[in-house]
Amino acid sequence: MKNGFAIFFAVLVALGSSWLGLVVAPAIQLGTAKLDPVLNSSDTWPQQRTGEATLGLQIYRANGCAACHTEQVRQAGVQAEVSLTGLGKSNPAEFKAFVQSLFILPELEKVTNNLAAFVKDWNGDLPKTFLTTDDLEAAGTMADRLKAAGLKSETLIVATGPDIARGWGVRRSVAADYLYDYPVQLGGLRVGPDLANIGVRDPVASAQLLHLYAPGAVVKNSAMPSFKFLFEVRQAGATPSPDALNLPKEFAPPAGYEVVPKPEARELVAYLLSLRADQPVYEAPFTPAITKP
Amino acid sequence: MSEENQSSSAPSNPEPASTRSAVPMWIIVATLVLLFLGFVYFDNHSGWFDPKIYTPYASAEQLDAYQPRSGAAATLAQGKKVYETYCGICHGPDGQGKPATAPPLAGSEWVNAGGIHRLTEIPLAGLNGPIKVKGQPMTFASGMVPIGAALSDAELAAVLTYIRSAWGNKAGEVTADDVKTIRASLGAHSPPMTSEQLMKMPE
Repeated sequence: MKNGFAIFFAVLVALGSSWLGLVVAPAIQLGTAKLDPVLNSSDTWPQQRTGEATLGLQIYRANGCAACHTEQVRQAGVQAEVSLTGLGKSNPAEFKAFVQSLFILPELEKVTNNLAAFVKDWNGDLPKTFLTTDDLEAAGTMADRLKAAGLKSETLIVATGPDIARGWGVRRSVAADYLYDYPVQLGGLRVGPDLANIGVRDPVASAQLLHLYAPGAVVKNSAMPSFKFLFEVRQAGATPSPDALNLPKEFAPPAGYEVVPKPEARELVAYLLSLRADQPVYEAPFTPAITKP
Repeated sequence: MSEENQSSSAPSNPEPASTRSAVPMWIIVATLVLLFLGFVYFDNHSGWFDPKIYTPYASAEQLDAYQPRSGAAATLAQGKKVYETYCGICHGPDGQGKPATAPPLAGSEWVNAGGIHRLTEIPLAGLNGPIKVKGQPMTFASGMVPIGAALSDAELAAVLTYIRSAWGNKAGEVTADDVKTIRASLGAHSPPMTSEQLMKMPE
């Protein structure tokens, strides 16, 4: 065993380097992650789940939902949208002339084509997004010029990418989103849609329960298996239970019976409804849409 | 036979001879150039493993530039939200106040004062007793609780800025620093102030 030390050293390096790379480096990078402050407020992100939803994460895990669903939204880019909200004292024709007079600015060189198209097509309706660009400097210049000219404008920061175009989210997922998840159910395969924002997309618990019991009743030819074992088919009493699922005919139990969710199904749905990554955070800024009354 | 073989194979398959360097110089140079370009790319795009930096952002500076501007619009929007949550219940969504509940804020000389000291103290300390607004003496069933004491400096500044700009009011901005200073100077107030006490303070 004259090479004993060399072998020991080689094994130490091989195991030690992977330990450093897979355990220590991520722990240094994210191990001290804290709740994110929410912009323009004293709240923090993410919010703690309810107890029911916390239990639901374990149901989600136990049923292998993460095998077919991801919980991560990707983002390809970011854009600034400058929209005109008020003309002040000027009229649309004057505004168009004003925009054309800005074409000589070097900051706006890259977006001149977009602006020219806007001037050609705009019929005077307000509010109007007239500049969408990933050139933040151009958007800022435009906003400053409009302000100086007494026109009212708003600049929105918007995330872009295939996932966002599908309506799966408004910004990318960041590490802070998962601070209350244990274990984190990232998922790696999208047989079904991404669920990072399912609580925003489909916030109705009864519809979620129906979908779990009979996916085909909600999405035609759904590839999702039915999770019937999370429900109880029982004899209906004199008055049907208020929790009974309102099933279409082909999925309904025999007459005199009703389908009610077991606690597991409720917990799973509470967890699904808690999946809402729709707050702007420092890592992934965007301008939240103001809900119009 | 063997002579023939030798003579035919020798010129076409010469014995390989080692040169001075094991790797051609151009490969070394190309590798170094690629390595250099790789590091330049890494420097520009990695964010240096900062856990706060994700694609499509490359650096903290770029990320800061994309944060929604904390400009006037953002402040007013925040102020409106705070107002509707805490203030509007009594002072009304239009700032007109409610009889026997709260005085109007729209057009009020307390709100539109040149100085912000008295105005900022009201939500911080609370206010009891009769008060004269727009020349009219007013009395209320109960006083105002120090509802602003629980708000952050930024939130209180935003809501004060909002009430000073909404409903035809045209007074200036209140900054979070102003609120911080006044909050610090105020100390603990109990019971809530009266309008006489307020009038003795600097505007």
